[in-house]
Formats: sequence, C-alpha cells, structure tokens
Amino acid sequence: MEIWRLPISASQRGKLISAGYTSLSSLSSISSSDLSRELKVSESEALDILKLASHSRGLEISSASCSVVEGAQNAWDMLHDEESLMHITTSSADLDNILSGGIHCKEVTEIGGVPGIGKTQLGIQIAVNVQIPHDFGGLGGKAIYIDTEGSFMVERAFQIAEACIEDMSEYNRFLRKDFQACEIRMHPKDILENIFYFRVCSYTEQIALINYLDKFISEHKDVKVVVVDSVTFHFRQDFDDMALRTRVLSGMALKLMKLAKKFSLAVVLLNQVTTKHTEGSFQLALALGDSWSHTCTSRIVLYWNGNERYAYIDKSPSLRSASAAYSVTARGIRNSSSSCKRIKMM
Amino acid sequence: MSPLKNLEREYPIIDSNFQQFCASHGIFSVEDFLIHDLYTLAAYAEQNISSETLKEGITQVLSIMDDMHQPCLNGMELLEDAKRNKHFLPTGIQGIDLLLGGGICVGQLTELVGPSSSGKTQVCLQTASNVARNYMVLYLDTGNSFSPQRIAHFLGKTNELASAKAKDQILQKVMSNILCHSVFDIFGMFNVLHQLEYHLGHQDRGGGCQMRLLIVDSISLLIAPVLGGTSSQGRALMTSAGYLLKKLAHQHNLAVLVINHTVGGEGGTSKPALGESWKSIPHSRLLLSCDRGSNVYNVSILKHPSMVVTPDGVKSTGENVVDMTERNGLTAPRAHDLVCIPVPRPNNLLNVLEPVGKII
Repeated sequence: MEIWRLPISASQRGKLISAGYTSLSSLSSISSSDLSRELKVSESEALDILKLASHSRGLEISSASCSVVEGAQNAWDMLHDEESLMHITTSSADLDNILSGGIHCKEVTEIGGVPGIGKTQLGIQIAVNVQIPHDFGGLGGKAIYIDTEGSFMVERAFQIAEACIEDMSEYNRFLRKDFQACEIRMHPKDILENIFYFRVCSYTEQIALINYLDKFISEHKDVKVVVVDSVTFHFRQDFDDMALRTRVLSGMALKLMKLAKKFSLAVVLLNQVTTKHTEGSFQLALALGDSWSHTCTSRIVLYWNGNERYAYIDKSPSLRSASAAYSVTARGIRNSSSSCKRIKMM
Repeated sequence: MSPLKNLEREYPIIDSNFQQFCASHGIFSVEDFLIHDLYTLAAYAEQNISSETLKEGITQVLSIMDDMHQPCLNGMELLEDAKRNKHFLPTGIQGIDLLLGGGICVGQLTELVGPSSSGKTQVCLQTASNVARNYMVLYLDTGNSFSPQRIAHFLGKTNELASAKAKDQILQKVMSNILCHSVFDIFGMFNVLHQLEYHLGHQDRGGGCQMRLLIVDSISLLIAPVLGGTSSQGRALMTSAGYLLKKLAHQHNLAVLVINHTVGGEGGTSKPALGESWKSIPHSRLLLSCDRGSNVYNVSILKHPSMVVTPDGVKSTGENVVDMTERNGLTAPRAHDLVCIPVPRPNNLLNVLEPVGKII
C-alpha cells in the first residue's frame, strides 16, 4: 500500500516522499523519534503518521480473519433491518402514502420549492412529529433544527405542537377506549424543549456546525432528525469561487450522509429554487447546481398547481414517482381539503 | 521503496559500508538506485577496496527490484486469459444487454453517467440483483441509496412460479451474495479496496461464490470534495482510484461499475463530471438520460473498447459503415502503417558487474 493512500496533509506527504518513504512497509520498522528527526517534524506528528500507517496495515491483517470487507453487511440482513426502521410522518396522509410512511431514517432527503410553498412549515412539522412517542407510532426522538435564514418562529412551533398533542388525544380516545392509562402527559412545552435550535450566520459557521454535530449527537443519542433550513442560503451570495463551493458542498453532503447512517437518523435539507436556462427556455430548478442535486438520497419538490400545493417525488431509490396535494393550516401540514384532489402516479 | 538503511535488517549485505559508498554517489533509497547509472556505479565499486562486497550489495538490490515488477505476458497468454475469464455479465436489463452485446465486461471499468434521477442507481441495483444469482457482488454506497427492498422486488418479479417458501429461500440465497458497505470519503474507499485486494488475493479458488461485480455509487461524490483547488492532490487521488479499480478488475476478474454525474458544460449542454483527466480512465462509458414527459429512459454509449461510436461530424454511409477518413481540423494527417524493426535487447543488468575496464 502506498503513502498517498494515507489521509495525511500534502506537506507531510511531500516530506515522507522526499525522505524516501513511499510505501507503508518502509514505515513499519522505524520509531517515531527517528522519523521526526528525519522529516524534521514534531514527534507527535511523527507518532500520528505512524499510527495511521499501522492502522492501515492492521486492516490488512484483520481482513484475513473475518468477512471480505470489515463493516460490510449483506443485503438479506439489511432487508430485515429496514423493515424495523420507522418513518417520520408528515401529518398529511396523502403525503405519507406516496412516501410509504413518511420521511425515511438513514437517508438524506432534500425538499425544495418556490418561496411561500411551505418548506419551513414542513420543517417545523417534522421537528415536532419526530417526538411522537412509540405508542402512537412515532420515533420518540429529539430534533435538531439548524436555521440559516432566521425563519423559525417559536410561536408557530408552539401552535403546531399543541395541534399535534390534540391529535394524539383524539386518536387515543377513538382507538384506545379501554386504555385509560395511556393518557397524554406531553405538553407543548416538552415538545419545544426537545428541539435543539442552532442559528448560523455564515457558511463557515454552517460547516463548523455540521462538523460539530457528530460529537453533539454522540452525547444526545436520541436525536432522530436534523433539519437544515435552508442549506442554500449562505452559499448563494458572495461566493466567487464556484469550484470551492462545489468542494465545500460535497464535503458537507458526505458528512451528513455519514451522520445519517451512523446514528440512524433522518436528515432533511430544505432548498430554494433558481432559474436555469436550458435549450432556449427558462426553467425553475433547485439551487446549488448539478453537483448538489446528485448528493441527496431522495428529493421532494413542492410546487403550486393552480391554487393547490403539491409535493412531487423527484428522486428516490425505492419509491415510485408520484405527486400528492397537501395544505398548510393553522394546525400545521395537513391533507388538502379540496374535493378534486387525487394522487397522481407516474 | 524504502531508504537503503531500512533494508539492512533483512539483507545484511547492505551494511553501512555499502550505504556510505552509495551515499557518496547520492543514492539514499532503492528508487535512487533505479535512476542512477549502474555502469558507472559498478566501475566505482571496482575501484573501491571492498569491491567484492560492494558488488554483492549491488546484485542484492537489483534482485530486490526484480521482484517488484509485474510479470510479462505474451499475446497467447492474454488471449487464453480473455477466453477463460473475461466474459460478459448480463445486467438483466434487456435494452442495455442488447446495446452492449451481452452485458458489462468482466475485467473492465464501466462508467454510468447521467443527470440526477436518470436511473443510474436503479441500473446498478438491477445488475447487482441479476449477478448475485451466481456470483458475489460488493456494493460501495456513498449516498445511502442501496435499497434492499428494491433488490427483493427485482428478484421477486422473476420467480413467479415458485412457491412462497422456495421464493424465500432463493431470495435469502441471492441476497446473501450482495455485500453493501458505506464509504463516506475517498480514503475510506481506498481502505476498502485494499482489504478487498488482500482478500481476493488470498481466497481459495473453488470454495464458495467468486466475487464478480464491484459497484461504486457514486465515485464522483467521493472525489468532488478533493478535486480542484490549488493542490493537485485531488486529481492524483482520482487517477489513483481509477487505476486501482482497473487493476482489481483485470487481476481478479471483476467487472467494475462506477457512477458519475453530469455538470453543465459550455452552451448549456451537460457533460460528465470529474473533468478531462477522468475521461480516459474508464474502459466504457454509458450515458443515461430520462425523458420526463414520456417516462422513457435512454442509454447511449459514449465510449467502448470494442465498438465504434459515431461521433458528430463523421459521416455514416448508411450501410452500417462509418467513414473514418480524417478531415481538416483533426489532429494528424493520415497515419502510416506501423513498421516494426527488431532492436537487440540490452544486456541483462546483472552482467553489469563484469569488469568493464578501468576508469582513469
């Protein structure tokens, strides 16, 4: 295995190569003090490099004993795991239907739409719905809400939380008439307490926060959803270097994917729209470009159809393309109440 | 290749005397040895007091280097290898199998390019489910888009006649052949590929299922965070990844399928991401596109090692013959036939140590 496959900085790599170390085996028999003397780096840096090298070699030895690749799972086991994964309901039955249950965990879902269509409302609804306890079919987890635009309104969240609790009591009354013990002990205050709110004001803060989330979620293991509203805002203005933007966004997307997989949580990214000039006509497309549209696992596009709000599944590994109507009411996101609504399967 | 002093433990002939001699000529590592002029080195060794041990040292280093290169194969051996090992793996998608004349090639790196939501992951999932009936598949997933549900769906469709219990058994057997691993950065992928290389090199032939398909979904997402910028480390990592995948494909008879996305080019047309350096790395490139209105998905070949792809501007005479006459504007005038002139081979390097004559 060669040196360039180690995750070390370019200057360290340059020093190693100019000193003649081009493969891992050449690092096997040297001590850290000798290495630091030769490379003219500090001893702790030399120790780090040797640790990385021996870790990579250790992988080689351990792979001989266990399966083909450490950490791989076969599809049969994954199928059974997937059946036990819960979804986060959106409180609109039609929307849940086309999503086959709701927002999936372990995935990064991107939701985009024109201004005013209800993206922030959907984000707040998801942050509230993730806290529905297990008895009522929810995840019973906490939420992280990252606000980049300042559009999170606490009063609205309180309103939605109240409506959610009222709905749960209704459900309780209709279906569990004999289980008086399962009374709702939740208060809207508790729901608000379980939403961790972060406000970021620049793209560096956004990146720093996403890097920090790993540690934060390790300490708060019951976080089950991360909502970023919106992921585009700080990347649209003042970014002269487009190549840098692509690099930064891809890095951020990979970190979010890793979080979603590692902690089995759902990541919801809200995105804005922009106009794209294709083949002579101007079309609305989601912002941040082609590279970004490739990074999410699933995508839902919200749009107006006449007077109705519709949601359309644009990209998904296992769901069919479909669109459904929903509405934004005083109680949050609910089914559309118009009489001519129908779910359109593509 | 290590510095000479690290070889001392294994090969005691390379002692400090030898190292000093080499150092006086500016040779500190095995790599330096390679690029130095060995005739002059041998002549200087001759002049030295302990010329015998020095010459033995030089022989030793040369034999170490001999072990490091790949074995030579002649044309017949390559043909045998191709006939025996390099088959086609059918993808299970009729249109693609027809287009590619059988399926994806074992031993080659195939790239699927397409705009977002054009069906790339679905093609990979279907191919995986088809190949897993007989062989093992490794799926490297960067976007958490591996869906076991979809695989079960693809497999269930073709087993309609079997009973429920038999269906379940087949499902379990086939799905156990698909391994899925999540990688979230390029160094993670290198680790996985290195482990895979080690495992494939050491596995016993004939025992259990052989691995035949490696899918990376998607390689562009892994490379995007490092590509570009002031340092060229990103491009180096990208080309190294490409070569490693091709080496795995050829040496261990795998078909490698990678996914790339498209970005906007000039004039509003889209082109594959990862740039010009990546263009020549995959053996074949397939472009997927989707026509939303009619829900029809298209596949076209951008590049294939054994098929002629009609580029724009080259006339086709209409009877399946493509006119390849070069015109003004293309690079070179009509090429001449290759003429081969045998040249005597240089002497075996080990003969260097024959006395060449004194240097004054």
